[in-house]
Amino acid sequence: MPDFALTPEQIGLRDTARKFARTEMLPKAAACDRDGRFPEEIYRKAWELGLMNLNIPPEYGGTGLGLLDQCLIVEELAHACGGMTTTIMANCLALEPVLLGGSPEQRTRVLAPFCASYQLASFCLTEPSGGSDAGALKTRAIKEGDGYRLTGQKCFITNAPQASLYTVFATVDPAQGHRGITAFLVPRSAAGVSIGKEEEKMGQRASSTATVLFEDVHVPAADRIGAEGEGFNLAMRTLDQTRTPIGAMSTGIAQAALEYAAEYATKRQSFGKPIAEHQAIQIKLANMAQDVHAARLLVWHAAWAIDQGSRGTLESSIAKCFASDAAMRVADEAIQVFGGYGYMRDYPVEKLLRDAKLAQIYEGSNEIQRIVIARELLRSLA
Amino acid sequence: MEIVVAVKPVPDAETRLRPAPDGTRLDPAGVKWVLGGYDESAVEQALLLREAGAATAVRAVTVGPAPRGEEVLRSAIALGCDRATWVETPADAALDGIGIARLLGFAIAKVPHDLVLVGKHAGDDESGIVGPALAELLGIPSFPAVVDLRPEAAARGFRFQEALDGGTVRVEAAPPLLVALQQAWNDPRTAKLPNILKSRKATIDRVAWNEASAAVGPTPGGLARPTRFRLPPPRTGARMIPYKTPEEAATALVRALRDEAKVFP
Repeated sequence: MPDFALTPEQIGLRDTARKFARTEMLPKAAACDRDGRFPEEIYRKAWELGLMNLNIPPEYGGTGLGLLDQCLIVEELAHACGGMTTTIMANCLALEPVLLGGSPEQRTRVLAPFCASYQLASFCLTEPSGGSDAGALKTRAIKEGDGYRLTGQKCFITNAPQASLYTVFATVDPAQGHRGITAFLVPRSAAGVSIGKEEEKMGQRASSTATVLFEDVHVPAADRIGAEGEGFNLAMRTLDQTRTPIGAMSTGIAQAALEYAAEYATKRQSFGKPIAEHQAIQIKLANMAQDVHAARLLVWHAAWAIDQGSRGTLESSIAKCFASDAAMRVADEAIQVFGGYGYMRDYPVEKLLRDAKLAQIYEGSNEIQRIVIARELLRSLA
Repeated sequence: MEIVVAVKPVPDAETRLRPAPDGTRLDPAGVKWVLGGYDESAVEQALLLREAGAATAVRAVTVGPAPRGEEVLRSAIALGCDRATWVETPADAALDGIGIARLLGFAIAKVPHDLVLVGKHAGDDESGIVGPALAELLGIPSFPAVVDLRPEAAARGFRFQEALDGGTVRVEAAPPLLVALQQAWNDPRTAKLPNILKSRKATIDRVAWNEASAAVGPTPGGLARPTRFRLPPPRTGARMIPYKTPEEAATALVRALRDEAKVFP
């Protein structure tokens, strides 16, 4: 039988995240969104509280939380600001390949510093010529001396301007397609690494996004994660772990949109009564509540399945895809409930729509998620 | 030098409160119990003193039923308290301020308590009785509304300010003593995630109800009995004054304030 009761420990983690989200993130969310400001002071505080690097095990100084624990935290953070949440979560994404495929020496050398001091890492997979078709990436790693020479460009990289370390996917042999892809660790300080201009984004503007350029960067063999050709699989297994928290982030945004809309509907009057007493608005709120509830349950289930040891490819794809689509629907309806005010930047709901949009695109677009879901479904029937 | 902080689980400010079916008390069903604001301030103060080297250990003590008594202590441990003592009461025990002070006094008398810190009153009933009563029972001086408590470097004691009507008085006092803290002069910290995880495994010293209630006398819960618990009546709506010009609005407002609300003659 499923048990949806959270443990006292999980309630404690969630409450801490909620308190941080409301007292530290929310008061600055609108201004950071307007100005496209990267609020480093908030990220440092998040690190101090242990809200970053949630997936790093205690032996390296982290908390080593399960995925359900992580999702509870991420939903609370995203309730206050999706953009800040993306930056806070990005270390988990960038460091997961080290957790999954790194040698014991690499894990100690790479992971411990992130728990000892505030540092950011970036996951570098997407390239200007493609993101979804990761097997066709063009960044080259040419064997040279005791290591590799890395050349190429990665784009839309979260936290790239501030990161001290990049997890880079490159091919050692383009002829081999995805079998040539290999993962490397590249410090920001390596000669030949440079950052392109910071992108102006539609939403999630408190996080930073930029291109990272690698020009004849020497990477020692000790900084290759796993064997040559294992990179594609490593990237996919990483995304299996991090997709569910994107669903949790979407759920947080959707929950915020629902709360804003419901509260506004009880205060705003039209035709002599609060608009919440008009059935047209009640139906909207009811649909929004269903979306939020279903998204959360799918996220919890996927996280639970992965915590039980399942790879969770199907469950996490469903959770991420449904929750991000739901967040778009709910944010859209929240704007509609607010009417003209909802379209104005002085009110909080239009930001939710812009923030939610990214969740349909990144960490595997929802089109890719549907391909995955269909493939898993049909494979089970074959 | 050891500090004891007495804390109380109180309903979270966002909890929707309801009277119990018998109408004499709060219905505990569905209430989320937390460390109240004044208590958070007291815990923060104790941790600051310890971090400044003025104390070697901080112990949180509470009186309350399961699970809320244990939970509030684990919250205090997650914030940084070293030890905790729980006087577990029956779920239906009706305790007034004197009753709570007696049970706290029984538990605190057993442990080192050079400085006893409390919030100036609980976040729920706001009675403010427990601090002074506890000091009396422990036989130590008490200071009921303190801000800015600091270790006194020269003497082995404390310097602080006490809030009075229209002013403050500066005090220097040597331990043992009890200090009730005003809220909001310090900025209570948020528990770090690793500490939350560790707090779940921390040992909590327990004082059995049978032992504590037998020791504090024939009426362990205190003497006061609530007879009725109800929510304040809903506020009546505001009234909009219709107007065409600002002068018209001001005139109508002044008339309403003078003739209807009678706020001035």
